[in-house]
Amino acid sequence: MSDQEGKDMKGRPRGLLSSWRFVGVLLVAIIVYSYGWRVTEIDLQTLVTGAPDIVHIVTQIIQPDLLSRDRAYQSAYAGFLLPCGDPSPAQATRSESEPYLVLSQTCGSPGEPLSVEGFNFRPNTRGTLRWTPPVGTQRSLQHFDSDENGHFVLGISVPEVAESEELQQVEAELRWSVGLPYPSETARVVFEKMIETVFLALMATSFAIFIAVPLSFLGARNLTGGHRGTVIIYFAVRGFFNIVRSIEPLIWAIIFAVWVSIGPFAGVLALGMHSIAALGKLYSEQVESIDPGPIEAIRATGANALQTIVYAVVPQIVPPYLAFTIYRWDINVRMSTVIGMVGGGGVGFLLIQWVNLLRYKQAGVAVWAITVVVWVMDYVSGAVREKIV
Amino acid sequence: MLDIQNLTKVYDGGTVALKNVSFTVEDGEFLVVIGLSGSGKSTLLRCINRLIEPTEGRIIWDGVDVTQLSGEELRKVRRRIGMIFQQFNLVKRSSVLTNVLSGRLGYVNPWRSAVGRFPKKDVDKALGCLERVGILNQAQKRADELSGGQQQRVGIARALMQDPRLILADEPVASLDPATSHSILRYVEQLNKEDGVTVLCSLHFLSLARAYATRMIALKDGEVVFQGLPTDIDDDRFKEIYGEDAIQVEIR
Repeated sequence: MSDQEGKDMKGRPRGLLSSWRFVGVLLVAIIVYSYGWRVTEIDLQTLVTGAPDIVHIVTQIIQPDLLSRDRAYQSAYAGFLLPCGDPSPAQATRSESEPYLVLSQTCGSPGEPLSVEGFNFRPNTRGTLRWTPPVGTQRSLQHFDSDENGHFVLGISVPEVAESEELQQVEAELRWSVGLPYPSETARVVFEKMIETVFLALMATSFAIFIAVPLSFLGARNLTGGHRGTVIIYFAVRGFFNIVRSIEPLIWAIIFAVWVSIGPFAGVLALGMHSIAALGKLYSEQVESIDPGPIEAIRATGANALQTIVYAVVPQIVPPYLAFTIYRWDINVRMSTVIGMVGGGGVGFLLIQWVNLLRYKQAGVAVWAITVVVWVMDYVSGAVREKIV
Repeated sequence: MLDIQNLTKVYDGGTVALKNVSFTVEDGEFLVVIGLSGSGKSTLLRCINRLIEPTEGRIIWDGVDVTQLSGEELRKVRRRIGMIFQQFNLVKRSSVLTNVLSGRLGYVNPWRSAVGRFPKKDVDKALGCLERVGILNQAQKRADELSGGQQQRVGIARALMQDPRLILADEPVASLDPATSHSILRYVEQLNKEDGVTVLCSLHFLSLARAYATRMIALKDGEVVFQGLPTDIDDDRFKEIYGEDAIQVEIR
């Protein structure tokens, strides 16, 4: 035995042969993968250089516009003359209860330091200091927080704005949230569309069941038997399944969006079409793998074809059919979230719209809703399948 | 009377399962078919109720040529021929009662039965059959919850529902232990003796065949090599049927 090792059947040293084969395989692999690397334009550097762009999007998406609260605000004004003239504007009148602003000087020129002091504002609240020239646009100068007495002092410099004989306005505005948080408008729209999405998947799956179940019997080799006519039906049905299944739901959605116009109905048809083929194939394969024993036993009792299917075939296929169907619904919920992108209705339409408008906080709501629904569906379908199989 | 004439079966692949098999079964006989695995026993039994289409030959049952029947006529013949299988062939996920009731499918309204409805008298009959094979208390269980021997009793009850005049038993005890084998064959024997049902039963073990058969035939490579009484099989005959290297295994 020992001198046989290391040699092939003709007695040549095996090491050389296998090492040549190894080198050949290695060469082919190198060629294939280097070509693949080039045609797919893999550029790992961009993963690093492009990162800052995505950070902005991701941070917005993980802070979705989910809840909103009503806002209240409080503001006070002070006049400022630029440049100084006659008469210089008066300081605001002091009040015991109303908020007011006091400036360190009421006239001056750009660049000069200016201190703005606020009194009687809402305590511990964030606010913005703005400068409104008589002509031109308003500027935000800085954000600040009032202290526990509703007081603040801000050191600024007079901004570079056009000179005017009219008063410049210095405004401090505080904003805060009041009342309980409630779902934002975005959240409500997403919720509505999410319901539409889940039902879109449900309707598509249900339509598919009604067509796929009868077809699956025709597409099962063990039931179609040996007659020439039934064999033709078998091949026709299987061919239909394979062709339709090879066309992605997104393509079907584009077709149906033109056919029945954009909307959830197009989505139902697109997903339904794909599901008929996908379910039909799984169903027929299930029928083909059932135990033939009960079938011959039932036939032997003198039962007809329908009775044989009802008593020998159906009890064997119901649990796997249910499992496949729930799994398909699960897939369809996932698919229906993207099918809207090509006009198939559902939450995908909102998502693609917001992404195109760069409204990532809203897009974030859709993304989170999809995540939650898909996760829940996945869990539920897993649990149900475990129960019945 | 069942008269098998020149029965030949050639499968699509060219395998010849039965070669020119002829024999007769008188009413009330317990005819045991013995032979090695692959000798054609199962094919023979399945040709009789046309679960398998014979290639040539005739099967005359009470003057009717079964090989010429089709559709409704064939189903009417089938419903009087009960069949018991080696693997029991129960619908595992259905209840015992449903399995037994399915033996009645050849008699009931097909549309009503398709939605699972059986006449009251058939349900009573099914319970009676289950009582007869001693598993009435298992009626509501799922078939696959029962032991092998119990499942075969369900199989017998299902055949009983057909009011059979002939029972085809294809290796009914090959999946069971010796003690259970005897109890199952005794039920079959009881049907044969008390109800006068003709039995055509294939068996592996000569000892079992000798215990129950009123007459025997032996198949070898699809041909009948022996017809006669159980006591006629001596050592030479045995070697002829089972081959030179075979030794007898006793099941008592």
